[in-house]
Amino acid sequence: MKSFFESKGFRELLRIVLAVTIGLALGFIITLFVSKDPVGAYKSFLLGPISRLNRIGDWLEESLTLILLGLVICIVFGASQWYIGVEGQMVLGAMAAGCVALYVPIPPLPRILLAFLAAMIVGALWGLIPALLKAYYNANELVTSLMMNTVALKIFEYILKAFIMTPKSRSISSELIEKPFRLPTFIPNLPFLQGIREIWMKQTSVTIMVYIVIAAVIIVYYLLYKTPFGYELRTVGLNTKFAHYGGINVKRTIIMSILVSGLVAGLAGAHLTLAIHNKIISNMTSGLGFEGINIAILAGNNPLGVPIAGLLYGYLRAGSDVMERSSDVSRELVFVIQAMVLLLVTAERLLPTIQKRVADIKENSENGTNGKPDVKNVKEGDSHVA
Amino acid sequence: MKPIVEMKNIVKIYDNGVVANNGVNFTVNKGEIHALVGENGAGKSTLMKILYGIEQPTEGEIIIDGQSVSFKSSLDAIDHKIGMVHQNFMLVPSFTVAANVVLGNEPIKNGFIDKDQVLKVTKELSDQFGLFVQPDAIVDGINVGQRQRVEILKTLYRKAEILILDEPTAVLTPQETQDLFKAIRTLVQQGKTVIFITHKLREVKEISDRVTVMRHGKMIGTVDTKDVTREQMANMMVGREVFLNITKPPMKRGEKRMEIKNLSYISETGRPVLQDVSFNLYAGEILGIAGVEGNGQTELVEVLTGLKRSAGGQAFVKGKSVLDHTPREVRQQGVAHIPEDRLTNGVALKESIEENLIVDRYFSAPYKKGMMLDYRLIENKGKELIKQFGILTPNGKLPVESLSGGNMQKVIVAREFSSNPFVLIASQPTRGIDVGATEFIREELVRLRTAGCAVLLVSADLSEVMSLSDRIVTLYEGRITGVFPDAAKVGEDELGLYMLGIKHQTNEEMEKFL
Amino acid sequence: MSLETVIRSIFSTLFLASVIRISTPIIFPAMGGLIAVVTGVPNMALEGIMNVGAFVGVMVSAYTGNVWLAILAGIVAGVLMALLLGLFHIYFKTNLFIGGLAVNLMASGGTVFLLYIMTGDKGNSASVKSLSVPNWEIPFFKDIPFLGDVISGHPVFTYLAFLSVILVYIFLYRTRFGTHLRAVGENPEAATTLGIDVKKSRMIALAISGVFAALGGMNLSMAYLQFFQKEMAAGRGWIGIAAVHLGARKPLGVLFASILFGFADAISNQLGSLNIPSQLVQTIPYITTVVALAVFAIQQRQAALERMKRYQKEHLEAISANASKAE
Repeated sequence: MKSFFESKGFRELLRIVLAVTIGLALGFIITLFVSKDPVGAYKSFLLGPISRLNRIGDWLEESLTLILLGLVICIVFGASQWYIGVEGQMVLGAMAAGCVALYVPIPPLPRILLAFLAAMIVGALWGLIPALLKAYYNANELVTSLMMNTVALKIFEYILKAFIMTPKSRSISSELIEKPFRLPTFIPNLPFLQGIREIWMKQTSVTIMVYIVIAAVIIVYYLLYKTPFGYELRTVGLNTKFAHYGGINVKRTIIMSILVSGLVAGLAGAHLTLAIHNKIISNMTSGLGFEGINIAILAGNNPLGVPIAGLLYGYLRAGSDVMERSSDVSRELVFVIQAMVLLLVTAERLLPTIQKRVADIKENSENGTNGKPDVKNVKEGDSHVA
Repeated sequence: MKPIVEMKNIVKIYDNGVVANNGVNFTVNKGEIHALVGENGAGKSTLMKILYGIEQPTEGEIIIDGQSVSFKSSLDAIDHKIGMVHQNFMLVPSFTVAANVVLGNEPIKNGFIDKDQVLKVTKELSDQFGLFVQPDAIVDGINVGQRQRVEILKTLYRKAEILILDEPTAVLTPQETQDLFKAIRTLVQQGKTVIFITHKLREVKEISDRVTVMRHGKMIGTVDTKDVTREQMANMMVGREVFLNITKPPMKRGEKRMEIKNLSYISETGRPVLQDVSFNLYAGEILGIAGVEGNGQTELVEVLTGLKRSAGGQAFVKGKSVLDHTPREVRQQGVAHIPEDRLTNGVALKESIEENLIVDRYFSAPYKKGMMLDYRLIENKGKELIKQFGILTPNGKLPVESLSGGNMQKVIVAREFSSNPFVLIASQPTRGIDVGATEFIREELVRLRTAGCAVLLVSADLSEVMSLSDRIVTLYEGRITGVFPDAAKVGEDELGLYMLGIKHQTNEEMEKFL
Repeated sequence: MSLETVIRSIFSTLFLASVIRISTPIIFPAMGGLIAVVTGVPNMALEGIMNVGAFVGVMVSAYTGNVWLAILAGIVAGVLMALLLGLFHIYFKTNLFIGGLAVNLMASGGTVFLLYIMTGDKGNSASVKSLSVPNWEIPFFKDIPFLGDVISGHPVFTYLAFLSVILVYIFLYRTRFGTHLRAVGENPEAATTLGIDVKKSRMIALAISGVFAALGGMNLSMAYLQFFQKEMAAGRGWIGIAAVHLGARKPLGVLFASILFGFADAISNQLGSLNIPSQLVQTIPYITTVVALAVFAIQQRQAALERMKRYQKEHLEAISANASKAE
């Protein structure tokens, strides 16, 4: 057992648990300052999502989107590409799925399949420009992908307002997608499940997307860890020079990592239109763009960890909604908590530093503090010998 | 003469348990040129880092000018008038020469850097010590010899009395080396003390007053240079004969496997690094490239393996051109490559050993099965290689970064050797690794050659080149200066003359052996 | 409005003045980004720090009624955010990109969170009466026809922004400390051996970039508009980072890049009055950024290739010259 507690895996887990705990504690401290009933507010935050069946449904649905976004980031960060164009890919994917579901006159099943396909292809293609610029000219993908996000959002709003919105609709949205073209509920229509199915359908709208997301997690895991492409992607991500030396086509791998992530981002977009909103509405993806990063980082960039992280953050988001409705604390608290967790989880040195401090205090020696310059750790300039 | 530096009973044990210095006593007299010699890893650099405050000794005492000191950082050492010129220069490339000289302690006028004064003090120092530099030149554009002078000026600007020069001639041309020696003599005439780290005994004889020899972290002795011969110094350094004890079956040279014609390469800064290099490589031989580091060996290997683009010339394997092709295309012609910088090129540190072993082959059967990688097979192959090459690790799933340097190199060697190479290009295959791994890798190289592979060996370790190679080519300033068809019949002295560009063979002489 | 009037208006004093006004909140984060980049710690949290600065400035001005105190508070808040990033990156080894994103997330969530507590509104702070910085009529200049209309009468922040370009230049190239920052960015090992504290330098560089980003944010909420708005920076922090790349890390170049983006933004404002869908027009500054980055990257690659070709040619000429000499 001792070896387990000393293992790297355990340390990682400890770091994550510690980070989430500190984040939640910080959130509570903030609540103490701002709320008249801090305990009540925090209780609704932490317990709200499971207090009613419909809330559980909301939690699950939200989590499904988050899990897909986490997978997106697993792919691009796995290749060490700081590409964060998910939001743009997702919103245009949502648009594509919606357009197919609303306007393509074919029967339900092929129409839904086509809607998914369209969303995924659009999502992938939207990543093409930053991908090519990065691979061939080393243009900063972080900035280009962010700029492309805003462009995508504007294009989305434009299409929605100019072509899709009907004059009679009161909000900025399309018409509802007709029942047969929506996704069915996730509980199969079997005799012995009849009872549960009815209760669920009455209160929630969780769809068969559950199975698609589970499949996506497994596929992405296999893609990253069991296929030649995944091997190339991870190797490029861990050491680009080694990948090049070993014969891997680095440019192609970079481009493909972004395009493949776009497929999943498009899928997340399709989920928004076909399962959550059942229509195309304005500002569909607000605030979701960066969630993928939170989740992938919390999951240690491992697709199999993503569902857990996604459910956790889905829970916190759902909880924050309940809190906002039932108390005087607004839901944005959860972003502050997430940001804190993100910082803590990625702080490689934090645990060692704390451990060292503790050890120093134990030894009661003041000499242990770093007085000497850390020459080895600043080795960036390296030699300039011609 | 009175001692200016006394290091007494210095012990340095690193966190990882490596004993770098073991009870070293080292004394330098004021106004002398003191050579510190020893093989790679003998502990000379560590000792000097301790003297310069970069490392702290585990035990021992340092006395400077009769005063016991304890340095927390190099700043303390600078305060005691010690200056060090590192092997890899510590210069800011976009700054001017003068700005580099005064960096950290710039002259100020009215709160701003006094640019005229900066140029002036640099000029004055440069004149005073005969270290010619152009104060307003940008460092990025000046040559290595000039950069070194900037480094020396930096220490003098900080009023250094004791100068530590860490292998200063390793990157210099013979002419530049002579200039440096002249400058060192000027420094000493003006009362400075110079500690000169090297492993070139010829230079020790030429420049130093006294010499201290180190071996395996211990001090072997300090002697007046005029009292010892180079052979005696070599014995003190190595403790056994310089030639390695490698049993090598006689060469059975086979067909021509790689043909290199008029190869040239120009660096990104426009410096011609390789010029008109031509040679052939035959089955069953080890062809060694001998040369002082920085004379184009690194680039030769990188151009031949597809990592860098050439500036002209041709290279063929099996009659097919491999020059300016991708690394994969080069590898598919059967060229394996042990890279010089193993941490950047040779491995992905955070990837598992198993996965590091398949980077050149994962895309083909049997590793690729359908659309998937066969990880059971990868694991088994990994186990085989770990066993066959004696890589010390509990299992192949661990990241490469968990291995020692020697075992990391074995991972690379295992991968490259097991690819059943038609041609093997090995660059610095044993640099900086432990004795056991070194011997193992050398034996494997010989075994591969005896089995009929064509091996190109590049190494900074001359004794390695001399004892492993069947044929030796010397490279000086990017050109081939000589070819020696029988490595066993050529002496170190003879090779040195060609490596340092003092002697050249004519094209006619070389042609029949290339 | 017809296209003609739009084109004519582009050459009007009003338009040129608007370019200056719109460039200001890009120049600030770009200068901050520049200092951080040359020190080797590209600050990816500029966007978030702008939001924080904008928010704190407005709120403190509303509560204290003192605009200078408000600016000071905004700067302090910006510096604290930057130091948070620095603490985690430099001392705890958090990846700089992820750390930057985390700070951005904290900023956008935190400002809305506090906005709601303080005003009961989540969109903007229009319900509280906040102050804005005064405009400055430049004596003498304001009376020059055309020029006076273009450059006079802007908020003091605008002049501060342009002045800051000169200050940053002097700081980086003429002062001891600025020079040390550049040395730290280029060769930290060398800087260390000369007694320059790399970690401290980087913390300070980040703090300075925080000052600039906060000023950029307050320029939005206390000059450009007179209230705080959710996600007020609207990508300007990121555009500032793009400007640092485009300006080749030189103060003047970064200034020109910032003005280029300001120009694109101003054009999109002008076109807004045409019968072109506003959403598409609004993409212009962002597309400009991508195109500019692409052109810059392609040019650099091209330049490198051409340099290589030139070297090769020179080399071949030298060889043939030698050969003919030998004959």
